[in-house]
Amino acid sequence: MQDTNVMLEARSLSKRYEDSVLALNEVSFTVEKGEIFAMLGANGAGKTTTINIFFNFIEPSAGEARVDGIVTHKDPLAAKQRLAFVSENVMLYPNFTAIQNLDFFSRLGGRKDYSRSDYHEVLLRVGLQEEAHDKKLRGFSKGMRQKCGIAVAILKDAPAILLDEPTSGLDPKAGFEFMQLLDTLRNEGKAILMSTHDIFRAKEVADSIGIMREGRLVMQKSGAELAAENLENLYLEYMAGKTVEA
Amino acid sequence: MLRLIIEKELREIIGAAKFAVTFGVCALLILLTFYVGAQGFKLSLARHQAAEAENKRQLEGLTDWVQVNSHRVFLPPQPLAALVTGVSNDVGRTIAMQGKGELTANDSRYGDDPIFAVFRFLDLTFVFQVVLSLFAILLAYDAINGEREKGTLRLTFANAVPRTTFILGKVVGAFAALVVPLLIPVLLGCLLFSNMGVNLTSGDWARLGIIILTGFLYFGAFLTLAVLMSTVTSKPAHSFLALLIVWILAVLIMPRSSVLLAGRAVEVPTVDELANKKARLRAQLWREDLGSMRGFKGNDSGKPEGLMAEFQSFMQSLSDERTQRMNAFAKQLNEERRNRKIEQERLALTLARFSPATCFSLATANLAGTSIDLKQHYLAEATGYQKTYADFMLEKTGMALDGRHMMFRMQGDEEPEPINPDELPAFAYKPAPLAAGVNAALPDIGLLALFNLIFFAGAFIRFQSFDVR
Repeated sequence: MQDTNVMLEARSLSKRYEDSVLALNEVSFTVEKGEIFAMLGANGAGKTTTINIFFNFIEPSAGEARVDGIVTHKDPLAAKQRLAFVSENVMLYPNFTAIQNLDFFSRLGGRKDYSRSDYHEVLLRVGLQEEAHDKKLRGFSKGMRQKCGIAVAILKDAPAILLDEPTSGLDPKAGFEFMQLLDTLRNEGKAILMSTHDIFRAKEVADSIGIMREGRLVMQKSGAELAAENLENLYLEYMAGKTVEA
Repeated sequence: MLRLIIEKELREIIGAAKFAVTFGVCALLILLTFYVGAQGFKLSLARHQAAEAENKRQLEGLTDWVQVNSHRVFLPPQPLAALVTGVSNDVGRTIAMQGKGELTANDSRYGDDPIFAVFRFLDLTFVFQVVLSLFAILLAYDAINGEREKGTLRLTFANAVPRTTFILGKVVGAFAALVVPLLIPVLLGCLLFSNMGVNLTSGDWARLGIIILTGFLYFGAFLTLAVLMSTVTSKPAHSFLALLIVWILAVLIMPRSSVLLAGRAVEVPTVDELANKKARLRAQLWREDLGSMRGFKGNDSGKPEGLMAEFQSFMQSLSDERTQRMNAFAKQLNEERRNRKIEQERLALTLARFSPATCFSLATANLAGTSIDLKQHYLAEATGYQKTYADFMLEKTGMALDGRHMMFRMQGDEEPEPINPDELPAFAYKPAPLAAGVNAALPDIGLLALFNLIFFAGAFIRFQSFDVR
C-alpha cells in the first residue's frame, strides 16, 4: 500500500544505456514530505541518471520511479506537475530578463497568478540583487543564473524539488543562504532530492544521505545515524569499495 | 500553453541581435525591390511609348497605305513584371507585322542590355528565393538543438509540457516572428509602388497578394526544414552546415541541373535548324514560281490595266499557293519542335520541382504573368491582331499583304492626301487573366504547402524521441 507521506520513490530502478553501460543498478529509496535526501557520489555514479528518470528525460530499463504515487514513465506530465528542478548549471533564456524568465517558467509550470512584485520578492529571497532583476541574463554570472533557477523552482511551488548539484557555482555565502532556503522549503513540507558533491553541506541539511557508486546505492543512513560518524571518512571508504548496502 | 510558447518564441527571436541585423537587411532589400521595380516600370513604359510614337511617325507623310511596309507592335510593360521579372526580359518585345505567316518577337531587354542578362534583376522573387530562405535558415537552424545546447530545453521539459505543443509552438512562433515583421516592409513597398505612379488594377493587387502569400509559404518551407534539421542533428553547427548544403542544392543547383539533364534526355531541334529547313523550301518554291512566271501569258486584250490586273491575280495565286505550302511545312516543323520542347520542359520542370525554390519561382511567374508561357501568349495576341491588321490593309489597299505586287499610280493633277496613321487598328495586349494565372500557379503552391507539411511532420515525429537532456 502506498505510504501517503512518501512523495518520491525509486523502486529497483535500473538503467542500461544503448552502449551497454549499466548506469543504475536496482536503486531503491523513498523521500517523504518535509524530508531532504542527499545523494553523494563521484561523477558517473548514477545521481543525474536517477534525477533524469524522475523527469522522464530517459526511461528506466527496469523498476520505476514514482512521484506522489505516479509512475513517471507511464504518466510523465502528471508527475512533472508535482516536480520542480534545479540543475547544476542553470541555463535560462539569455535574451530575457530575470523577471521575464521567471514569468515564462512559472506560467509554463502552470502558475499564472504571480505579479511582478512576487517575482521581485522571490528573487530577493534567493539573494539576487534588485538591480539585476530587470537585466538580461546574457550578462549574469553562473551564481546569478543559479539563483534565478532556484527562484524558478520556488515559484513552481511543487510538492517535490529535485536538485542536481545546486550549490555548484555559488559562493560560500550564497551556498549557506541556499541551505537555509532548503531548510525553509523542507519546513513547508516539500520533499527534496538533492545530488551533491558537498559532503559537509549534505550532512548539515539532509535528513538522510545515500552514497552511490557505479550505479548502486551502496549506503543510505539517516541524519541521526550519521551524527556520530565522520561522513567524509565513510564516503571515502565506500568510494574505495566498501560494499555494505543500505 | 501553446500561446505561451508562441509568445516566448516571438519574444526570443525578435529580441536577438541576429534578428535585428537580418531583418534590417531584408527590409531594406524589399523596399529597394519595390523602388527599383517602380523605376524600372516607368522607364519601360517611357520606352514603350517612344517605340509606339516612332512606329506611328514612320507612317506619317505616306500618301498611300500600300507604302506601309514596316508596322510593328510592342509588348507593353506589365507592372507586376517589375516585381516578378520571370522571363519578361528574355522575351522579344517587338513584332513586325507581315499580314500573314509566322511572327517573331525581337528586341528583348536582355538583348538590348546584355549587362542585365549577366547580373539579372533585383526583384521580389530574388529577395524571397535567395535572401529570405537564408533568413529562415539563419533564425531557425538551432530551434531545437540550440535550446538543448543552451540547457533551456531540459528546464522546459522539467515542466508538464507536451512535446506536440512545444514543437507546434516553436514552428508557429518562429513563423510569426519572421513573417509579421516582414509584412511591414512589404506593405510599405506596396505603398511606395503606388505613390511612385505605378497603377495596379484590382486584379494586379490580388495577384501581388497571392505572390506574397506564396513567398511566405516558400519561407515556411525553409523554416520547417530548418526546424526538422535541428531535431535530426545534435549540434547547431551541424544543422547549419547541413542546411547550407541543402540550400545550395535546392536554390542554386537543382533548378539549373534539371534543365541540363532534361536537355540531355530529350533533344529538341534548334530554331536555326528549323529556319534552315524553311529557307531551303522557300528557295525551292521561289525557283518553281519563277518558272511559272516566265510562262505567264495574259489575254490579248491590249489594255495595260487589264493585263496588269491579270498579272496581279496570277502573282497572288502563286503567292497564296507558296504561302500555303510554306505554312503547312512550317506548321509541321514547329509542331514537331513544340512537342519535343514540351516533353523536355515537362521533364525539366518535374525534376526541378523537387526544389521549393523552383515551385516558388514558377508559381510567382505564373501569377505575375511572366512565366515561360508569356512568349506564346504574346505571339498569340499578336497573331490575333495580325488578322485585324491584314483585313484593314486589304480594305485600304485592295490587296492582301505579303503578295508580290507591282504598283502603278495614275498621276493626276491633285496633290495626294497623306494617310491618317490613327486609322490603323491599335494593338491592345491583354495579359493572361487572373484565373488562368492562379490555376497555373496552384500546383506549385500546393507543392510548397506539401513541403511545409512534410518538413513539419518530419520535425514533429523526430522530436517525439528527441533527447532533451
